[in-house]
Amino acid sequence: MTKHIRFAFILLAICALSAAALAITNAITAPVIEIQEEENRLAALKAVSSGFEIGDQEDIAGNAHVTFVIRLLDGERIGGYILGLKGAGYGGEMAIVASYTTDGEILRVQLLSHSETPGLGKKAENEGYMDKYEGTGASEPVPTNKSMLSSGDAAAVSGSTVTFTAIAKALEAGSVYAKELGGK
Amino acid sequence: MNIKELTKGIFKENPVFVIVLGLCPVLGVSTQVSNAIGMSAGVLFVLLFSNIIISALRNIIPDSIHIPAYIVVIASLVRITEMLMHAFAPAVNAALGVYLPLIVVNCIILGRAEAFASKNTVMDSALDAIGMSIGFALGLTLIALIREVLGAGTITLFALGSFNGVIEVPWLVDNPFRVMSLAPGALLLMGFLKAFFDWKAMRKAG
Repeated sequence: MTKHIRFAFILLAICALSAAALAITNAITAPVIEIQEEENRLAALKAVSSGFEIGDQEDIAGNAHVTFVIRLLDGERIGGYILGLKGAGYGGEMAIVASYTTDGEILRVQLLSHSETPGLGKKAENEGYMDKYEGTGASEPVPTNKSMLSSGDAAAVSGSTVTFTAIAKALEAGSVYAKELGGK
Repeated sequence: MNIKELTKGIFKENPVFVIVLGLCPVLGVSTQVSNAIGMSAGVLFVLLFSNIIISALRNIIPDSIHIPAYIVVIASLVRITEMLMHAFAPAVNAALGVYLPLIVVNCIILGRAEAFASKNTVMDSALDAIGMSIGFALGLTLIALIREVLGAGTITLFALGSFNGVIEVPWLVDNPFRVMSLAPGALLLMGFLKAFFDWKAMRKAG
């Protein structure tokens, strides 16, 4: 019996020390990480703003894909929207920001965070990956299926269809949402 | 201190090809050379510290609870590595993505803790960790190099100054054997390389 208590105590001590080490590391790194993430977010917003002035962020609850909306201002007029989108990727949730015109056409897309497989789904971070979505959503439908892509683009997403479809579905939902906002 | 503990991991007891440990990261991250190098660095860091800590505690941790004790130590180290990389090397963290937390289930770490660090001195355990990490890095980088050259026609290293980090292999870059970058290519290549290393070992043994 005393043996078991001793074992439990040793294990408890190891766990407590590990927890302390983790807490100290977290206290050091968390503020640094937070600053970085805020910088990344602002950089991504700026990159998709297409030269418009960025308005205030309004959080959206109850939409499966849209998490926030920011109105893009061209003087007094609303030139478009930046939508925060989430998609279900292969490695978990992906956060995307995309700008839309008031008729739901996709202007620019940026991947904010994801856990996709290196070499496969992770290619979505590469420059040019989002080209296949940009310009769709209004007169052309968003390519949500590989058969809607050119053969070159389809080959580029082979091996990472889940990632491609997840981004497409989120962008399509964003396009619908931007149309519903209808210039307001 | 025995220098043999360092060298044995590189060829004679290479963790990838001889002991066949830690195959999930070997098959998973070997799509690009840069990922292989980043993963190897992560494994070196975690393995070195886990071997040192476990070896130092080897007389304190009772046999019947050694596995949970090792797992707590290893998991904490991996998490600390992840947080430090996230804060101070965000580019490496972004490149490794999901594979960094997966070091925790890399059997090389637990395997070396169990087979070596729990029975040997701190110094020998540290040497064992370095040797095994070098062996792992060689195995992983070799597989990544073959897979990336054949599968994508490129060699991705780290961007440095005006060099963008990607070397393109002529012809292959336009006509890649795409299967090599996918999962079946990894398994096929691992099979061939394992057969080759076994054949070499058999010839040596006569």
